[in-house]
Amino acid sequence: MSNTKTPPVIVLKQLKKRFGIGDAEHYALDGINLTIQKGEFIAIMGPSGCGKTTLLNVLGLLDSHIEGEYDLDGKSIAYLSAKRQARIRSQQIGFVFQSFNLVSRLNVLDNVSLPLIYKGMSKLARQKKASKMLQSFHLGEREFYMPNQLSGGQMQRVAIARALVNDPAIILADEPTGNLDSRASHIIMQELSDLHKHGNTIIMVTHNPDLTTYASRVITMLDGQIDTDTFRLPIASRTSTKKPLNVTPKTKAKTPLNKKVKK
Amino acid sequence: MKILFANHIHIARQSIASSRMRSTLTMLGITIGVASITTILALSAGASKIVIDQVDSLGGNIAVIRPGASNDDTLQGIVQLPIGQQYAASSLNDVDVTSIEKIAHVKAVAPLMILGGSVNGVSEGSARTPILATTPNLEQISGLEVSDGQFLDPDLMGSTAVIGPQLSIDIFGTDQSIGKTVTVKGKPFTVIGILKRTNTPVNYNTIDFDNAVLIDMAEGREFIQGASQIQQINVQSESVEYLGGIITEINKSLLKNHFGQADFTVLSGDEIAQPTSGIFTALAGVSVAIAAISLVVGGVGIMNIMLVSVAERTREIGIRKALGATNGDIISQFLIESVALSIGGGLAGYLLGYALAFVISTFLTFDPVFNLEIAGVALVVSLVIGTLFGLYPALRAARKDPISALRQYD
Repeated sequence: MSNTKTPPVIVLKQLKKRFGIGDAEHYALDGINLTIQKGEFIAIMGPSGCGKTTLLNVLGLLDSHIEGEYDLDGKSIAYLSAKRQARIRSQQIGFVFQSFNLVSRLNVLDNVSLPLIYKGMSKLARQKKASKMLQSFHLGEREFYMPNQLSGGQMQRVAIARALVNDPAIILADEPTGNLDSRASHIIMQELSDLHKHGNTIIMVTHNPDLTTYASRVITMLDGQIDTDTFRLPIASRTSTKKPLNVTPKTKAKTPLNKKVKK
Repeated sequence: MKILFANHIHIARQSIASSRMRSTLTMLGITIGVASITTILALSAGASKIVIDQVDSLGGNIAVIRPGASNDDTLQGIVQLPIGQQYAASSLNDVDVTSIEKIAHVKAVAPLMILGGSVNGVSEGSARTPILATTPNLEQISGLEVSDGQFLDPDLMGSTAVIGPQLSIDIFGTDQSIGKTVTVKGKPFTVIGILKRTNTPVNYNTIDFDNAVLIDMAEGREFIQGASQIQQINVQSESVEYLGGIITEINKSLLKNHFGQADFTVLSGDEIAQPTSGIFTALAGVSVAIAAISLVVGGVGIMNIMLVSVAERTREIGIRKALGATNGDIISQFLIESVALSIGGGLAGYLLGYALAFVISTFLTFDPVFNLEIAGVALVVSLVIGTLFGLYPALRAARKDPISALRQYD
């Protein structure tokens, strides 16, 4: 999956993130070294409070008060202005949240076209593009629904559609299936793994070990540090934890990587 | 950039529309403030306009001399205007009138001596009836017309008076009162003329001719022991082009009469309207101050509601930032929203103000004036209020940390 010839998308060197001052000082991230290649599907696991979400926020440039080095596309983010960081969020990064984070007073179409506003697109162009994106997620008939009229799985698909509408290279997903049942989780994971096949880099935080089988690389974290990383291990040696999830396995063909692992 | 701006306006419209009741109530403060400003400006412009029109209709070749040094300080004018001039002894006298008459190209001069006192006919007149001692020239200079009888004539035997039509009705019960006797300050006068109704209580002579009694200058002087206390001298030039020269000459000769003291003011053109409408300026000043207070209160209302709105939409701000909104985008979004609120309120206030002005003008003798200045003032005022009071909430919104904003549940 990883192409070593192109420069890595993300390089972290001794990344630290501190919260609190003095006695209450505490490192949520305590010296992370991580290199992520283009096109990887990374699942980050670990117990609560180990710094998974903090890491994702740092990667997504939502939190730039860090120590250590973070290079995005070969450029250090330390020298980027807040405005440039916002532009990178707008054009290169797509967020998917556990709690969906749709704007409740906007309908589905407006929610999906939200990122395009900050790209400076006209209203018509925005809605056209958002509509097209929704159709590819089979939500074409739900365009004018309000978020509270949708099921959890539908809301998360809208959120993914919104994350993708700007054609970002990197998708950051923070427990995207945390609020969903296993059937809806499976559908969402299928969507993400489809994106992965299209060449997107996906970094996903999850609590559910079952879902790591969709990933090409699994990282576990503990106390702000990387505990295990499957990166250097040969694919065959990974233990698959994928379960059928009570879904008829007609979509099995869509996950060639994991299929290989199973053999 | 242009599209981004249009987007912000779109977002503002969405969010205002989503809480219509709240937005309307917030606008109300601005509406009331702008409405009162509009009403006052429209009416005081109407009052000034009526006087300017009078001066213009008389040919524009009129200069007016008033006692007291010219006063450019508006604030002082507001404070002093009504009282200072009524009780102070006038600095103008008969000598001044005579010297003005001698100036070349002066066509006519009319002194106005305004007295207070009782005016009685068959029934008692109002104590506020103006008694005006003047010369026959006033008829020509101020374009007065007589509907019945004749104007003042010092050559006539005995004491004669010309009265306004409304006064005639008030004290004689009829407007046909020629030959009747009117008692002015205890002295009987024979009515020799009734003025034509003018319906202009606001004019540059500061006298409501419909209600006045006009007597000869010599009679007036008798009431105050032969002295003369002239409140105003009206000067008419032969034509407009001589007016400038005449004003210079008047200044020169009056300065000589007054031993170099510039205790008088020579006015011409639109300037004449200003002291006359001074009372309106004063009123307008006070009312504008009150309106300004209500605007500040309205602005604080906007700020309040914007702060609530920012707090309510913290999560939305977090989402927008995560999706690529810059701090500037967030500031614009909330600033445009507050400006939209205040301009909406301002527009409503402008319309309401004119509605109010028209209602009030039915009790007055002049109409409110429409002009671009008033619309401009209303627009600028609401723009400034919206920006000023929207800035802090907008900055607060932009400063929100996206991570903690996203963590907030709504």
